[in-house]
Amino acid sequence: MGEYKDPAITITVVGLSFALVTAFLGFFKAPLVNPDSWNAPGAYRILYWHVPFAWASFLSFSLLFLGALLWYSKRSERGWRMVVIGSELGLLFGLGVIISGPIWGSVEWGVPWDWGDVRLNTYALLTLVAMFLVISLRSQPDGDETRDTLAAVGLFGFVLVPITAAATTIWRNRHPGIILRESGETGVDPEILQVMGLGAFSFMIIFIGLVILNSSIHTLRGELEEMNREIDSEAIN
Amino acid sequence: MKVPCRHVMDTSPLAQVSGIEVHRGPFKVLEEVSVSLGCGEVVAILGENGSGKTTLIETFAGILPLRSGEVIWHEGGKSITVRDSEGRRNPPPPMGLTLQRGGICGDETVSERLSVSLSVSGVSTENQQILDLLGHWGLQHRSQDRVAHLSGGLRRRLAILCGLAPAVLSQTPRVAILDEPSEGLDESAKKTLRCWIRTLSSMGHGILIATHDKEISSCADRILSIENKAIIESSGESLGGKLQLPMPGEVSEQSTLSSLFRWSMRMEMRNPIETVGRATPAIVAILLSYALVMDFDLQSHDSRLLSALILAPAFIASVSSPALVSRLAESDCGRWWKAVVGPMARPAFSITGASILLPIPLTYLSWFILSGSVDDQVFSEVMMWLWIPAFAMIDLAIAATALHLLVSDLSRSSMAPAPLLLVVLVWPFLELTDALSSIIDDGMTWGLSIHEPLVTCILASLISALVWLAAVLIPDY
Repeated sequence: MGEYKDPAITITVVGLSFALVTAFLGFFKAPLVNPDSWNAPGAYRILYWHVPFAWASFLSFSLLFLGALLWYSKRSERGWRMVVIGSELGLLFGLGVIISGPIWGSVEWGVPWDWGDVRLNTYALLTLVAMFLVISLRSQPDGDETRDTLAAVGLFGFVLVPITAAATTIWRNRHPGIILRESGETGVDPEILQVMGLGAFSFMIIFIGLVILNSSIHTLRGELEEMNREIDSEAIN
Repeated sequence: MKVPCRHVMDTSPLAQVSGIEVHRGPFKVLEEVSVSLGCGEVVAILGENGSGKTTLIETFAGILPLRSGEVIWHEGGKSITVRDSEGRRNPPPPMGLTLQRGGICGDETVSERLSVSLSVSGVSTENQQILDLLGHWGLQHRSQDRVAHLSGGLRRRLAILCGLAPAVLSQTPRVAILDEPSEGLDESAKKTLRCWIRTLSSMGHGILIATHDKEISSCADRILSIENKAIIESSGESLGGKLQLPMPGEVSEQSTLSSLFRWSMRMEMRNPIETVGRATPAIVAILLSYALVMDFDLQSHDSRLLSALILAPAFIASVSSPALVSRLAESDCGRWWKAVVGPMARPAFSITGASILLPIPLTYLSWFILSGSVDDQVFSEVMMWLWIPAFAMIDLAIAATALHLLVSDLSRSSMAPAPLLLVVLVWPFLELTDALSSIIDDGMTWGLSIHEPLVTCILASLISALVWLAAVLIPDY
């Protein structure tokens, strides 16, 4: 049997290469920020992956949400595929956000986690929902009832976003907490923007590659299951 | 006694499924199936293992979601859409239901189970009537025994009796649905079953049976054979003797929700695993906290630390997995309750299974043990108002139960990481910590800004309520 070839692998590898280039440029070539405006000016470089992680996870969670809606309203197989892919990529990129964020927060803000940060809390919440879905997808038998429950959890996660945002905002109003230094700079250095743009582009390529790859895997799994069922019925008869 | 059959007056069936498509797992089990059950009719569903007999039975009972079609029951001249593919649901009229696995929690006693089956069907009975019914099936001497202590055969007899009794004691035509009733029955019980089926049929009740037992299917008027997702209809032999059954009982208001609440309380009083399961980690948390902070002067620290330690045990008790989930999972007990209660089952389960009694006493216990070095004025102020954040913790407990129930819908729910979804309840907990901290620092105040303890507790309750709403509404949409 020949090797399995999928253009998605090439796309993903290209994206990863660009991401590595971004990391290299970010850590070694991008200009330093004004040390008077940042508590840990060197640590800002984590932004070149942190922001693209957040962007890619936003796309993944959107895929998950739309897929859950589609499954729930139409029991669409495409919708279910979006749920599966969205939850897996949401977990991958979401973990990137909630790992890189606290690393940066520890040195820049002095605390790894800020309960008053709406974005961090909502990303963490969605990542946990994605983790629940990924683990459950592997442990539960496939079927309408499982899909209904998991799609419900997916939608539930999104209903929690505004609830969490509101709760976090209320908490932040009561606990002003971390005071960021006001920056005297206007605008962002064009070189920083360029590297950030390269990072966003590379993670977008990774995202597209992984979506196509996961979709191919989902299709292949379905074909394999169909063949197994044929063998099952032959074995019985 | 023959119950006047409305079928004579109008031709509406008692229950029907129209154009249904049902999937189980990855398979389409039923496709474009339409079946009706009339007054006085016995319909047997035959088919090989996995052909869809149980699926059709459970679809009739409104348990399964539909890809297309609808399930309609008729009562008192009215048509009730029990379930359809658009997501519409209504509680079915009173019925008798025997599921393949029984649908009975092991902690119930024999007479209690029969009594519950009758009360959810709107039949009020006296103790003697219960004993008479049990006597017909050789269960009278076991009336006070727990179902878990019965042999498989006796348990099956009880399940069948609970499925048929609502029809026996009803003054109007009822539907009785039996899934593989003869499994586990000895010959004499099978004979009793056939006689009861024919007698109930002669009284105008409709009986729907899924079976592969030829003895039982021989008493059917109509036979539906499921082959390749389609139904082939043929005439039955209608065999079976009749016997004298107990007289119909008094009609009472169908009380599914109150029956559920009472059932849940009785189960817990008989076997307090819920209380023990929640209280134990909470008390351990109190003792651990005491051991770790007993040398600290907590008053000199930020009061939020003390508040968090005071409320943590109640929080732990609130988010622990409810025993109700385990009880409902036993022998498809949850499916039985969902069938008889209808769309209100999930909200009712979430309230019934929540830790409503523990948060307040646990919080006060925690305060007594951990408050140690606080001065008398603070102590008495907190003592007077501690119940407010503790009371708001009950909303958090109900939301947590709803989340556990959401996960329990999965067929291998014990393999699903439910705690990941519970993290969202950190926010109401933080709000309550703030509220208690404010009471400790400044005493109880009644202002309406978000810094005030009462408003903070209301916010915590509101967040919990929104989480609860999402967890109960979305799955059943």
